[in-house]
Amino acid sequence: MAASAGSPAVQTPARASLNRRVLLLGLVVVAALLAVLLLNLGRDPHSIRSPLVGRAAPAFSLPPVGGGAPVTSESLRGRPLVLNFWATWCAPCIEEHETLVSTARALGRDVQFLGVVYEDEEDRVQVFLRRHGSSYPSLLDPDAKTAIAYGVAGVPETYFIDAAGVIRAKVAYPLSPEAMAENIRKVRP
Amino acid sequence: MKTVLAVVAVTVALAAAAAAQGTGEDPAQVVGAPRGPRLEGPALDARAKEIAGLLRCPVCQGLSVGDSPSTMASNMRAQVKDLAAAGYDQEQILAYFERSYGEFVRLKPPLRGVNWLVWLAPAFGLLAGAAVIAWALRAPRLVADAAPPTGAALPGPDTLPDDPSLARYVLRVRERAYGWPGGMAPRPDAPPADTV
Repeated sequence: MAASAGSPAVQTPARASLNRRVLLLGLVVVAALLAVLLLNLGRDPHSIRSPLVGRAAPAFSLPPVGGGAPVTSESLRGRPLVLNFWATWCAPCIEEHETLVSTARALGRDVQFLGVVYEDEEDRVQVFLRRHGSSYPSLLDPDAKTAIAYGVAGVPETYFIDAAGVIRAKVAYPLSPEAMAENIRKVRP
Repeated sequence: MKTVLAVVAVTVALAAAAAAQGTGEDPAQVVGAPRGPRLEGPALDARAKEIAGLLRCPVCQGLSVGDSPSTMASNMRAQVKDLAAAGYDQEQILAYFERSYGEFVRLKPPLRGVNWLVWLAPAFGLLAGAAVIAWALRAPRLVADAAPPTGAALPGPDTLPDDPSLARYVLRVRERAYGWPGGMAPRPDAPPADTV
């Protein structure tokens, strides 16, 4: 009726086509977001793609907890190495400690295990190791230069390095026995 | 004299090598020999601060290494300062950290590959927004051209909406506004209301 002529209840063709275009654009944007979501749904949120995986492990020369000659990465070549960054204040590190100690014991000289202490004090580390046991050396990294060279962003982080000194895997969560076995296979043919 | 100098040079070189050994890894093997001059004092502090501001703190998202109070960031600041003191330039220092942490560690993504999108998207968004605004400003004129309003299309004093509830309000408004009894427009031939 004439009274409704003031408000555009009847759409002009131009307005209608604008609405269709806006709707289409919205659908394209939503579809793109959904596609990204679906593509990443299957990914493990704990896995970190370290740029170092597949590359030579950074060299290090660090003093062991309790004193002694520095342990160098050079002297460990020829054997696979499991390098575990940890701290006594880190609860997940306590959780995986048993797995690390028992696996290192079981594999003996086949695989070298090393701990690198991250942002912690030597006294506390010694107390911790006495209480929880140990089967491999832990090294001190006082100014965190080695942690930085390995791209450590938190603890625990474990690097699996093959006999040629190439990093094959990086794990940034507490290792279960299964995860440990799976990653050991990557460095031990 | 020459012998003394040579001995001093060798001693300094050995000391430098020992220092590099102590920290584990020689950064020169990662990013090549230092490209700039060795720095110290206020110049070193300024350069280190500048570069730390370009690095993302890996343990506290959204903060630069320069701004973060975390121990990790303070260790990274010390590392930046060591590298700058040794004469590594800004790009070498950023590349050193990028080797370990990935491109994520750069607060300013370098112009390469898919990163062009990050730099071009704002400009593209601005252009797209301007286009939409221009289109929206043009659109009403098109509508006006298509259907110019005529007197016949406007509501008259006695037209009412089809909806009875709306019509009731329109009548009340007309009654208040014009003093028409019941909101109905007086017929031209009818006597004025107040004379009845």
